[in-house]
Amino acid sequence: MSRDVTVLIVDDEPAIRRLLHVAMTRAGHRVVEAASAREALAALHIDKPDVALLDLGLPDRDGLELVPLIRGAGVAVLVISARDETGQKVAALDLGADDYVTKPFDTEEVLARIRTALRHRLAGEAEAPVVRFGDVEIDLGARLVRKHGAEVHLTPKEYAFLAELAKSPGKVVTHSRMLRQVWGPGHEHDVEYLRVAARGIRRKLEDDPASPSVIRNEPGVGYRLMA
Amino acid sequence: MSLLLVALVTLAGLLVPAPGGITNVGLLYLIPVMVAATRYGLRTGVVTGLASSLAYNFFFIPPTHTFTIQDPQNIISVLVLLGVAVVASQLAARVRAQALLAGRSAAHNSALAAFAQGLTGLSTREAVARTLCAETGRLLDVQTVLLVPAAGGLEIAAAAPRAPHLEMLDLTAARWAGDHNRPAGRDTDTLSASEWLFHPVSAGARLHGVFGMARADARAPLDSDRAPLLQSLLDQAGLAFERIALEQEMAAIAHITERDRLRAALLSSVSHDLRTPLTAVLGALAALRAATPEDEAHLATARVEAERLARFVGNLLDMVRIEAGALHQTIEPVDLGEAVASAAHDLRGVLDDHPLRIAIAPDLPFVLVDPQLFHHCLINLIDNAAKYGPPGSPVDIVARREGAAGLVLEVIDEGPGLPPGEAARVFDTFARIEGSDRKGGTGLGLAIVQGFAQAMGLAVTAGNRADRQGACFAIRFDAGHVKESAGEG
Repeated sequence: MSRDVTVLIVDDEPAIRRLLHVAMTRAGHRVVEAASAREALAALHIDKPDVALLDLGLPDRDGLELVPLIRGAGVAVLVISARDETGQKVAALDLGADDYVTKPFDTEEVLARIRTALRHRLAGEAEAPVVRFGDVEIDLGARLVRKHGAEVHLTPKEYAFLAELAKSPGKVVTHSRMLRQVWGPGHEHDVEYLRVAARGIRRKLEDDPASPSVIRNEPGVGYRLMA
Repeated sequence: MSLLLVALVTLAGLLVPAPGGITNVGLLYLIPVMVAATRYGLRTGVVTGLASSLAYNFFFIPPTHTFTIQDPQNIISVLVLLGVAVVASQLAARVRAQALLAGRSAAHNSALAAFAQGLTGLSTREAVARTLCAETGRLLDVQTVLLVPAAGGLEIAAAAPRAPHLEMLDLTAARWAGDHNRPAGRDTDTLSASEWLFHPVSAGARLHGVFGMARADARAPLDSDRAPLLQSLLDQAGLAFERIALEQEMAAIAHITERDRLRAALLSSVSHDLRTPLTAVLGALAALRAATPEDEAHLATARVEAERLARFVGNLLDMVRIEAGALHQTIEPVDLGEAVASAAHDLRGVLDDHPLRIAIAPDLPFVLVDPQLFHHCLINLIDNAAKYGPPGSPVDIVARREGAAGLVLEVIDEGPGLPPGEAARVFDTFARIEGSDRKGGTGLGLAIVQGFAQAMGLAVTAGNRADRQGACFAIRFDAGHVKESAGEG
């Protein structure tokens, strides 16, 4: 896939826009800037970006309101937020944002998140049948998990948990989404189920459960598969 | 006047021959006696009674025109007249005294009401002091002065009709009255040589002033029957002083609250404004590629310091949130092992030089905390341990059950440990341990740990490890913060 990627940068701070602009250009992306929600919505229709980097603190409109609008236009959304705004991050993710980065962010991390979001977008819902990372292999077609080539026995919930993460490797899955997908609606607040499942998976897959290399916990937000 | 009545009755008795004889004329004499006794009191009553009986005797009792009495029955008539005079005058005198008292008490009450009414409109101590002196001076017809507590003793706040010259003795009496909350000076048991009588003016436990009164003619300043009035006036004034004092305290508190709010808003806005340029600086530094090894060293320094600045700004914001009471919590079951791993991940730069040794039993129950706040507690504790430990020294994290249903998590370093007596102080905002060699940081980190932990109801303690040199910080979870696993559901 060699077609150019267009990145829409939505932030009212010129310094942040300039920083991201340089980083995106260096990575070979085309860049469109917007300093307000109004400009962002205009650029969405004129420039047809592939991904939007969205700061939630905009002067003219709550950035959260933009999330469904941008996603509705078929554009991936990466939210840029302050670290003390966990509630906003979760809200943005639940509204359809693909992922988030926390200020102050590392531009390499932003580029990695963009790649993950775009890969997922381009692949569509037809996810790769086998996800490999390190010595762990998740076969989504056969519903099998192997470590060092040997099959690991997970409980059905543990497998469903891992599979949900493996559908979009590297992308955060919020607690409520995971609970809804694996345990069903009505269990969206039973975070304890997640903790139990995550602990079970780590015990079976991690070499050192104390410093995990398979599943990463984002405190208060969700889990992601380490890509 | 009453004697005139006696003469009138006599004349009437002489001119109009009484149908029932002289006894009925005697009854007529009761009229002047009653009138005199009720109107003018005992003495006049008795005099009138005597005059009546003499007149009756002289003009009507045979032998008339003499003061001799022949019939013993007529002696009784005279005695009855006298007796009636005495009894009636006493009854009347009592009624009159009560009426006088009632009248005076009504006057007192209306004076008090007017005084209280006047006080409610006043908003300064000075005005209350002036009103108290002027009104009390007018009502009791005395010279007045109000002394209020001031630096080093008492000073005159108001006086009527003019500021008096107080002798040392008077001031001593005034001070005694204030100190003991009892009257002193003239006509009291204490320092009675003073010309002035001093009463404390207080409300609740607070002394607002000492009220003094005297008379220019050196008579006793206070009649005993006016004492209740004075006490009521002083009580009213005390309440007015108390009301004003409370109003001023409320205003002061409101001022402090407003100042705190402004400070928090300022800090918050400064922190936010710092974060944006920091993000830009960090991003630009990360993107820069050094041309020479020397540049590489400068770049590394710039990156490390910018990251430290970013952490500090983050801590500053957290502190603002703690002090503003703006911590929003979402309590969830949290796996201690997972939480420590997340904190270690975020601190990977800091921990390059300090291996983390984690000893957390895999089947430990979950704890009930806000995951974000707890995450920052762990980050600050581990960061602190790494900061104190010598290069290359490990940081130990141990979690285990404690007591019947509790848990404890300890972060242990190999640093210099805490000086004796400093264990509690390390959590103070901006605290730095004397003589310690701190590598950067401001001491905000541990204050944030305590602020967040307290917000979640957790106890944090600091101490020294027993086995070797080093500090040990512990977070304790009681039964209410431990969630025994109920299975996968």
